[in-house]
Amino acid sequence: MNDLQEIPTASKTSTTSVDIRNVSFNYGNTQALKDITLDVRRNEVTAFIGPSGCGKSTLLRCINRMNDEIVGTRITHGEIVVDGINIHDPSVDVVKLRRDVGMVFQKSNPFPSSIYENVAYGLRMRGERDKAVLDQSVHESLQAAALWDEVKDRLNESALGLSGGQQQRLCIARTIAVKPTVVLMDEPCSALDPIATAKVEDLIWTLKNDYTFIIVTHNMQQAARVSDKTAFFYMGGLIEFGETKRMFSSPSVKKTEEYITGRFG
Amino acid sequence: MASEKSSNAKTGHKFQRSGFSYEQLIRFFFASNAGLSIVILTLIIAFLLKEGLGFFPGYRRDLETYRIAGLEFVDISRNNLTAHEQLTSLLNRAYYAEVNGKSSRELKRTEEASALYNAFTDQVGPTRDLILNNPQAETDGNAGMKAALLNNYEKQREKALQKPLSTPHLTNEERQQLIESLRARPPEATDDPPLVAALAQEFVAAQQKHAAPLQEFRTVIDDFESAGFDLGSIVMEMTESVTVTKEQLQTADILEKDRKTLLAAASGEKDPVERERLLADAHAALADKPDVETPMQALLERKPECVRLHEELKTASSAAFDKIPQSLTESDAKRILSAARKAWPVFITDLDMAPGKINAWKHTDPVPLSDAFMSFLTGKKWVTGGEWQDFYGILPLAIGSLMIAMIALSIAIPVSISAAIYVNHFAKPREQALVKPIIEFIQAIPSVVLGFVGILVFGTILREISVMDAFQWVPGFPIEERLNIFTAGCLLALMSIPTIFSLAEDALNNVPSAYAEASEALGASHVQTAFRVMIPASFSGILAAILLGFGRVIGETMVVLLVAGNRIKIPDFSEGLGAFFQPSHTLTGIIAQELGEVPLGSVHYRALFVVGIVLFAVVLGINATAHHFVNRAKK
Repeated sequence: MNDLQEIPTASKTSTTSVDIRNVSFNYGNTQALKDITLDVRRNEVTAFIGPSGCGKSTLLRCINRMNDEIVGTRITHGEIVVDGINIHDPSVDVVKLRRDVGMVFQKSNPFPSSIYENVAYGLRMRGERDKAVLDQSVHESLQAAALWDEVKDRLNESALGLSGGQQQRLCIARTIAVKPTVVLMDEPCSALDPIATAKVEDLIWTLKNDYTFIIVTHNMQQAARVSDKTAFFYMGGLIEFGETKRMFSSPSVKKTEEYITGRFG
Repeated sequence: MASEKSSNAKTGHKFQRSGFSYEQLIRFFFASNAGLSIVILTLIIAFLLKEGLGFFPGYRRDLETYRIAGLEFVDISRNNLTAHEQLTSLLNRAYYAEVNGKSSRELKRTEEASALYNAFTDQVGPTRDLILNNPQAETDGNAGMKAALLNNYEKQREKALQKPLSTPHLTNEERQQLIESLRARPPEATDDPPLVAALAQEFVAAQQKHAAPLQEFRTVIDDFESAGFDLGSIVMEMTESVTVTKEQLQTADILEKDRKTLLAAASGEKDPVERERLLADAHAALADKPDVETPMQALLERKPECVRLHEELKTASSAAFDKIPQSLTESDAKRILSAARKAWPVFITDLDMAPGKINAWKHTDPVPLSDAFMSFLTGKKWVTGGEWQDFYGILPLAIGSLMIAMIALSIAIPVSISAAIYVNHFAKPREQALVKPIIEFIQAIPSVVLGFVGILVFGTILREISVMDAFQWVPGFPIEERLNIFTAGCLLALMSIPTIFSLAEDALNNVPSAYAEASEALGASHVQTAFRVMIPASFSGILAAILLGFGRVIGETMVVLLVAGNRIKIPDFSEGLGAFFQPSHTLTGIIAQELGEVPLGSVHYRALFVVGIVLFAVVLGINATAHHFVNRAKK
């Protein structure tokens, strides 16, 4: 399943999935992330919280190197290790990295094609031509994303005809169809109504046995509901990181407490 | 609406509407500007229709005269005669191609020697003239000056002989002999060098030698040609008589028109004296109807003779045509001969049909308005200002326009869309900043300048390429005309590239970047993202870009007028794709070329307006379709 380089046997057994070590990141001359060190465990849900502009989305986009596409950005210090491999190593093919580190965006963005093609896209891009394999993958992924029952009769209709919540679940289905190990979610529910949000959260909860989730959210309750661990960012720095339950009941840093209780943000 | 309802409120209440407000004034200003453009467009359309629609009745009358005067009758025989002449010319060309092809070695030798000799005389000419035409040197007997001039001439001569032209078909000895003879040549000599003269004779001898076995072919061609003489002379006689009738009819038409104008003026005139005068003038202008019946009867009496001469032409030319050689040896001659063989059955069918046509023809058949319509829309001839008969058939122009557009688009679409894809998806920001303005800069070249470059550079280069041996497999090569459909199409491609490129690039740019992010986050490569997601998503926009480019190509005037060759004839498709290398005229070009020279209000003038209406409708249709696609892309 892993398309990265040969995995050292040690890291296979290790419970660390994404290891962020002393990462600093710049947009041009502005420092967006300052010396972040963080360890994301396998099959856990880790939430990144913090006020706007604190760098949580930036860090998320560093993990699958989506920031490569933005001109003038670079990691100035530190490294990110996914499954034991430094993702900035010159031998890493970023296309293969992204097959293992999937991403769901804030705004649902299905392609302007059929539901079926949206889910099959990732596998097709990988050269899969066998109709049976594709059919099965589409079925499984849609089922995993709890969307199958709603769309099974209109797989060939345009994905743009789905509701906002359905579109976002379609994007999740599309992401897990390529069987990544890590799924990054950038405020996946910010554009959804409460019912659709609940559905997506349930989904994350059921899928976490198979995937490692990192979720950026503005919604404190959501972080409390779905995550095992929470990282609180402020002004580009990591203020506190720990068990969600503990952080929300007894934060050890004053800033965290102020943010969680809504004093600022 | 609300303001029109009667008000129940007391005046002067606190929400009272104050009269004409400042805001209304501003609104009115902008509305009037928007309205103005609509009014202007309406006026243009109204003007076009007013000037154009008068064409069809006028053209109908023209066609009626064509029939009543008997021109149509003469044309039946005349067309067959023309076809016969064309066949004769083809046979003659085949004959000369065969003779000259067989003597090609001698032809090349004499050409090369002459070219070398001519280049030499061109170069030494000025210094030589100084020696020969210098009165001072003559009269004074100024030996020093004479010597100086002679010295100058010798210098120039040596210079000219240092690098003489290459002569691959002459032997080294011959070449050396020629160069020596030029060196030894006194300045005052006028006769050709011996070798040049000898080679010219050699060529004539070769021609005679190779013509000898073709003697029979020659006789056959002459027989074929003379088969048309009898029909030719009767057509000539008939032509004279019908032309006279036609002129009488036209004069009568003009007088009639004048009379109507006078009558109209008289009915509008209030002063009774003046009115009487105008009515009297109108009466005076009442022309006698010209006598068309007498010459027509004379013409109709010739029917049996025409039929007989047609049959004779058929018998005589068939007998001759059967005797032409089965095949010739030179490739050019073969090609021309096969063209003649292809044209032969058409000619014979027409000849067979001619007697029927001649007997069925009646000068009293009415000419309905629909005939004028059909003759305009499906007519294969656009003939104007001729002494015989004007025809306004739009087909040659429309086909020319379409073929030029096809060439232009088949070049411009791949180039501009690939460029747009490259700039949008693959170029580095610096390349993007460079390539985009450069392509869009092409638009800044005035089309007349582009046409100028097209004639001088592109047309010439194309012709030079077309005579190269390496390109003889291209259909239509070597091209006969430097200015043709292909040249015009290439230049128009250049002009439409910026249009299509800009619009296609916009369309690609309008695809949400979220699609690209999603695709790349799913592990698709950059190329996969571009071709599987971004380009399909912008398909409607790209289609609209192509259509608007097509509209621009069809509507472009200056370049086609300068470069398309302006021959009003449907290209000969028997050459296949070679038809694209023939000259042509266009819908736009004909208006630009002829509108300045036609008499105001004439049928020809109105015909050009109808061409304008057709053009307007086509471009409008294209733009509307493009608009439809743009709107779909936005959804």
